[in-house]
Amino acid sequence: MNTSPRKSSLLEQDARTKRRNAAEARFKAYGLAAIAIGVLALIILITSILGNGLSAFRQTEIMLTVELPEAKLDKSGTRDIEVMKKVTTLTYGPILAKGLKDVIAENGIEIEGLTAKDAGALISKEASAQLRDRVLADPSLVGQTVQITVLASGRIDGYYKGRVSLASAELDSNVTPAQLLLADALKEKGLLVTKLNPAFLTAPDASDQRPEAAGLGVAILGSAYMMIVVLVLALPIGVAASIYLEEFAPKNRWTDLIEVNISNLAAVPSIVFGILGLAIFINFGGLRASAPIVGGLVLTLMTLPTIIISTRAALKSVPPSIRDAALGVGASKMQSVFHHVLPLAAPGILTGTIIGLAQALGETAPLLLIGMVAFVREYPAAYTSADGLFGEPSTALPVQVYNWTQRADPAFFERASGAIIVLLVFLLIMNAVAIVLRRRFERRW
Amino acid sequence: MDDLRIVERNVTTQTKITARGVDVYYGDVHAIKPVDVDILDKTVTAFIGPSGCGKSTFLRCLNRMNDTIDICRVTGTILLDGEDIYDPAVDSVQLRAKVGMVFQKPNPFPKSIYDNVAYGPKIHGLTRNKAELDEVVETSLRKAAIWNEVKDRLQSPGTGLSGGQQQRLCIARAIATSPEVLLMDEPCSALDPIATAQVEELIDELRSQFSVVIVTHSMQQAARVSQRTAFFHLGTLVEYGETGEIFTAPKDPRTESYITGRIG
Repeated sequence: MNTSPRKSSLLEQDARTKRRNAAEARFKAYGLAAIAIGVLALIILITSILGNGLSAFRQTEIMLTVELPEAKLDKSGTRDIEVMKKVTTLTYGPILAKGLKDVIAENGIEIEGLTAKDAGALISKEASAQLRDRVLADPSLVGQTVQITVLASGRIDGYYKGRVSLASAELDSNVTPAQLLLADALKEKGLLVTKLNPAFLTAPDASDQRPEAAGLGVAILGSAYMMIVVLVLALPIGVAASIYLEEFAPKNRWTDLIEVNISNLAAVPSIVFGILGLAIFINFGGLRASAPIVGGLVLTLMTLPTIIISTRAALKSVPPSIRDAALGVGASKMQSVFHHVLPLAAPGILTGTIIGLAQALGETAPLLLIGMVAFVREYPAAYTSADGLFGEPSTALPVQVYNWTQRADPAFFERASGAIIVLLVFLLIMNAVAIVLRRRFERRW
Repeated sequence: MDDLRIVERNVTTQTKITARGVDVYYGDVHAIKPVDVDILDKTVTAFIGPSGCGKSTFLRCLNRMNDTIDICRVTGTILLDGEDIYDPAVDSVQLRAKVGMVFQKPNPFPKSIYDNVAYGPKIHGLTRNKAELDEVVETSLRKAAIWNEVKDRLQSPGTGLSGGQQQRLCIARAIATSPEVLLMDEPCSALDPIATAQVEELIDELRSQFSVVIVTHSMQQAARVSQRTAFFHLGTLVEYGETGEIFTAPKDPRTESYITGRIG
């Protein structure tokens, strides 16, 4: 073997160095390419969602002046709510149609081939219910002439969001070009405006024919209830289990088995948890289908492995010297864990928990199985004596997205994208909270 | 060995810890073969020996820190003031309040300097009120010769101190619970010579109140601070006696080889 020093210039690279440098450069290029693809995909995703969904936060409305004839709405003249409730939305429809007709006549708008019925179709089917609710809330309005703002129908709304055009209206059985021209004329007079739509966040879901009225109120409430259940159950159980397994449990075959199975559970498809929830909580436990408590329990089962795994990782990362130090001054095992190890592991535990919660918030499949896909228009109460805590039927945000994408009217596609934006905003808020809390914990030393 | 400064040897003869036939197993490995040793009160006892000879393991037996290692098994008897510390009735927590420990790497809690020292007295309920606690913290920090450096910043984090200061803080923390025995596992291995000198001086002062057992790699250090020295080799206690004798007239050839640098 030749052991004498090699004679070569440092100023020129030998073949081996060149190869090594080339390999390194290639690896860096792969990495950059991977990141570029990822960023590109993210940008496309976000533009697509924002492009489709932002318009859901705006809604076209028509301002009308309507007379509320006592003869029709309150024949008894007593203004008794119970009596007035007997008057259905069918009675309110023509009142609105007349209001619109008056407005058209007043402003001298003339559109060729527009029948009175067609003109009335500009107003959403939901509008008569809106008006009825308003009258029932304030019976003194009856007999007066009031100014109200009602929703325009989904197609008219779509016209101002670029979904519907005069050309497409020719082919559409739900809207005629004449209606669109009328809408344009109303807009010119300032009677039809497209403005911010807070009802998207507060209103309940609406039926297939009235996408303009559909909102996320029930879904947000349902998701919030489930997150409360998951947080209250999964965090203490998960953290306690991890502390026991990591700090106290003897290391033997049984704990190994438990450990392996926790990792396995984290990989179980979420729909399996749905079947489990259906079988145990609804069929066996007798809880009500579609209830947030059931959804919360199922999501808790699903989130537990995530929380346990991340908590154990956080506990493991606390240096053993801290435990030695605590034991060395005569702290008990529990004191060393709760006074020293847990505070140091808290940021990691917190991050794991919030990641678990975020996962649970976006989970759809198990909720479909326990019936949270149902059409729910009533806001679920947090507690009722009949159904218990979080026992009233509800839906959830991701399920609402799924639900809306199933519907025929393209307006629901816009709503679904809008709901995704809401979901993403919630996830962003949760992550931001995680980061802020982590900073606050870490800044202590 | 001319440079050795052999310290005064006014040794008491009162035994603090008696170990008889102590074996330690790590799983199947027989880490320490029967060790008999008597550790005297108010004396600094040094354990020396090459790496892996079991001196730290034996030290950790004295306050049952080995309990925290699952695969570790200790047999034989260790008596502290005549009481068997491995008796099932003994709570290791109470034991460790009596037998304090300082570790190789300075390991202050990530809390304030004050809280570091106050932690032991707090969990053992040694003080009745804040004023007493303040006093304990101050005396402990004074004894550990670090009071003057930290008295103006007791609320700043203990982890922000230098290595030597951290180690003295750990010593203050260990003596705050007024232990009877102080175990030190290579307390100076992570320190520079100046900090080492400070800690050594401190150990000599501590001798007036505690029985100190120190594990060290440095024979010079053993010679400087201890009155009695035990030499471990390959898991056995080879020789135990007065420090001066061990270093000047070792009886066992292995001890002689080690202190003259032929093995280790």
